[in-house]
Amino acid sequence: MPNTERYPFLAGDATLGEASFRPYLPFTLVHQQVSIAASGLLDTGASVNVLPYSTGVELGYNWERQTTALSLTGNLAQYEARVVLAQAVVGQFETIQLVFAWTQATNVPLILGQVNFFMEFDVCFYRSQLEFAVSPKALLE
Amino acid sequence: MVSSKLISTLRELSRSDKFYIMQFLISELAQQETELIKPEQAYPVWSPYGADEAADTMLKALQATKAQNHA
Repeated sequence: MPNTERYPFLAGDATLGEASFRPYLPFTLVHQQVSIAASGLLDTGASVNVLPYSTGVELGYNWERQTTALSLTGNLAQYEARVVLAQAVVGQFETIQLVFAWTQATNVPLILGQVNFFMEFDVCFYRSQLEFAVSPKALLE
Repeated sequence: MVSSKLISTLRELSRSDKFYIMQFLISELAQQETELIKPEQAYPVWSPYGADEAADTMLKALQATKAQNHA
């Protein structure tokens, strides 16, 4: 099992060049029998992981069945959000469980935040080299 | 793409002209940086900063599910 994997920053807007590069992590989201390829924005300032509404629907979640409501902040405060859990596969690492604030907003990126992505993975950013490195959290003996 | 002809021309410049070119390029880069954020335009910030209550609720939901799976 490799300890660290490196990924490139990706351009959000080709016309803006290097200024638009963002740390998007490619990974797989799994819920029950549904598996989708996702791209998550690594956002160390975000308190929580955020799942856009359309991605949640694609994964097979039913809004009415998610009973735990959340109040988010910033631009997301105007949208209802509910708690959902999914399995996530990052690179060659072991599958982990991620908890998301599933928002009704659709034009939001999939955000990977402190709870609980950064509790599961250590990430080192090399912005000057347009790369970042991801490794699973160290397990204490 | 920087051509070899341009590099050759730059090499032939005097020391003072090289300094001038360097200052010119730094000024150009600084100008481009300021142009990235345009006035009178909205830039949405989607990050849920400081959503600590939501984070707490989500952690409890995660822990409850893990406890249920281990039971």
